[in-house]
Amino acid sequence: MRDSTLKYLLVLPAIVVVFATAIWPLFESLRLSFTVGRLSRPGSLEQYLGFENYLWAFLYEPAFWNSVWVTTIYTILTVGLTTVLALGLALLLAPGGRFRSGVQTLLILPFAMSPALIGVSFRFMFNPEFGLFDAVFGVLIPPLADVSWLVDPVLAFAVCVMADVWGWIPFLTLVLIGGLASVPQDTIEAAQVDGASGWRVFRDVTLPQLAPVLAVVIILKSIFSLKTFDQIFMLTNGGPGTATQTLSHYIYFNGMKYGQIGYAASVAWLMVIPMIFLTYAYAKFVFRRE
Amino acid sequence: MAEVTLKNLTKRWGDFVAVDGQSLEISDKEFLVLLGPSGCGKTTTMRMIAGLEEPTEGEIWIGDRMVNDDLPKDRDVAMVFQNYGLYPHMTTFDNIAYPLRVRGTPGSEIEPRVRKAAEQVELTQFLDRRPKALSGGQRQRVALARAIVRTPKVFLMDEPLSNLDAKLRVTMRAELKHLSRELKVTTVYVTHDQIEAMTLADRVAVMKDGVIQQLGSPDEIYNDPANLFVAGFIGSPAMNLINGSIQGGHFVTTGGTNLVPVRAEDRKEVVLGVRADDIRVSEIGQGNIDVPIYAFENTGEATLLTVQWGSQRVIAKGDRYLRKEQDDMIGISLNPEHLYLFDPGSGSRIRA
Ligand SMILES: Nc1ncnc2c1ncn2[C@@H]1O[C@H](COP(=O)(O)OP(=O)(O)OP(=O)(O)O)[C@@H](O)[C@H]1O
Ligand SMILES: [Mg+2]
Repeated sequence: MRDSTLKYLLVLPAIVVVFATAIWPLFESLRLSFTVGRLSRPGSLEQYLGFENYLWAFLYEPAFWNSVWVTTIYTILTVGLTTVLALGLALLLAPGGRFRSGVQTLLILPFAMSPALIGVSFRFMFNPEFGLFDAVFGVLIPPLADVSWLVDPVLAFAVCVMADVWGWIPFLTLVLIGGLASVPQDTIEAAQVDGASGWRVFRDVTLPQLAPVLAVVIILKSIFSLKTFDQIFMLTNGGPGTATQTLSHYIYFNGMKYGQIGYAASVAWLMVIPMIFLTYAYAKFVFRRE
Repeated sequence: MAEVTLKNLTKRWGDFVAVDGQSLEISDKEFLVLLGPSGCGKTTTMRMIAGLEEPTEGEIWIGDRMVNDDLPKDRDVAMVFQNYGLYPHMTTFDNIAYPLRVRGTPGSEIEPRVRKAAEQVELTQFLDRRPKALSGGQRQRVALARAIVRTPKVFLMDEPLSNLDAKLRVTMRAELKHLSRELKVTTVYVTHDQIEAMTLADRVAVMKDGVIQQLGSPDEIYNDPANLFVAGFIGSPAMNLINGSIQGGHFVTTGGTNLVPVRAEDRKEVVLGVRADDIRVSEIGQGNIDVPIYAFENTGEATLLTVQWGSQRVIAKGDRYLRKEQDDMIGISLNPEHLYLFDPGSGSRIRA
């Protein structure tokens, strides 16, 4: 066998796998988004509608808009809270910070947990009968003793945000510690001698030099927040009602539960739009040249 | 406007002693130069004065206040860092303006003061650039301008001219000297360069291994070295140090050459120090001894003659117009007024 033939043969399995698991589903979902696409109705997967599914989402589906809204607020809150808290922790744990120690390694633990597991464990912790949080709140803040966290729409949403922030802080903290380590110590010292207070050193010298890393952290976290599914699925399953139904969850429900594959595919492709922007921004920051 | 006093200042990292029980009184408006070989603790001393390094022991006073527990920002010092410490995200202008801004100088005053400082270090055409787009020497001048843009209680300058070319260094040296006289600010200045030390300093502290070996005017340091280390460290070419003994009022080299009469008691082992300019070069027979030339160098303003007899090598400074060849014989005579005797064991000076 000639070398050139052999080399194609050798990569062929990989190409087949990628094609079958990534490329084909991608195009198939795009095709389906233009069809009636009901699993219950044979032949509807080839029945083309043009852009009707897309228009339907925009015009006649309050649930779609609800999930857009939920996803937006969820993303803003989780990105904001995680970034701010992770930055705070990173400043304390970074070289020269106050609490540098072996604790750093321990911190990675929550990140090692799968989101679904985090979802399950938070559901248990907020269980009204034997939940840890419930018991703790009951003792510390008695008025909160009988609150059913996952039943109230706003509280359930808050618990989802909390679980996500809890799971993501460690990783982002580690990334930011790395970022802080690359800020030259002598610029910080120069600012101190120049007369800057701790806060001004942070604002004028540390933060601007950390900005590229911070941007990457925010963009990455935004992408992950937008896609959130498994954690919510295990924790609240979108409820109560649709109070915590993110877009991914909405897509899953329409496609898998109601069998409206065509419609679900069109919403999934709508979600691609913000993703493209974020990915572009991410690539720009990561691969930019000085 | 302040004295700086170090009392028994010590800095240790584990077992390693970087600065060892240093006591030093720097008077108001004085220009003190710290001079010493690499790693002797000059930067560490400065960083402790600035508040960037916590002393292991001892006290630091600025004016009539003990500042050990003060933050750097409250000590009112301005520092030129050895590695510049420029803010990479700011332009030259903003770098220089930063100490003014952060200390709340009125906005209208900032621009003229930054321009003036930039002019003093010849940087006016680079005000819009970021440090990354500047050469090493230009960066160093930004660091210098950032220090002189305001009038602090104390200037701390860690080798502020080390990266400039020879010509600019001379100009900047004069500028600094002028500035220090004009501003009348107490200055601690670190350098490797002896000419800088000699020309700028009111007093020089020569350091070695974290200990001050001698503290005195440039004149004293050069002409009256306290020990072997200072003698060998100061001066270019370095002072000639010749091993030998004293026998009957004469210095005799280890090789047995009877070199020169000295006023000292007999002793078995002694080091004789003599500067190149204190050795007179003459024709054969007219000096203390006749020796062959090992190397002849012409520096333009003078000539340097390395002569050798036995295993002994000595450098003498000759007349600017003197012309000799290698292996020519000459006579040398040591000026008996300017000979220094040291104990080879302790290194301390033996005074008559
Ligand atoms: N953070 C540190 N930890 C341990 N040792 C240190 C530290 N900083 C400095 N030293 C050591 O202290 C000694 C003095 O350092 P310092 O920077 O004061 O020298 P220096 O006199 O300024 O030298 P140079 O002329 O090369 O700048 C050096 O031997 C150095 O290795
Ligand atoms: Mg140094």
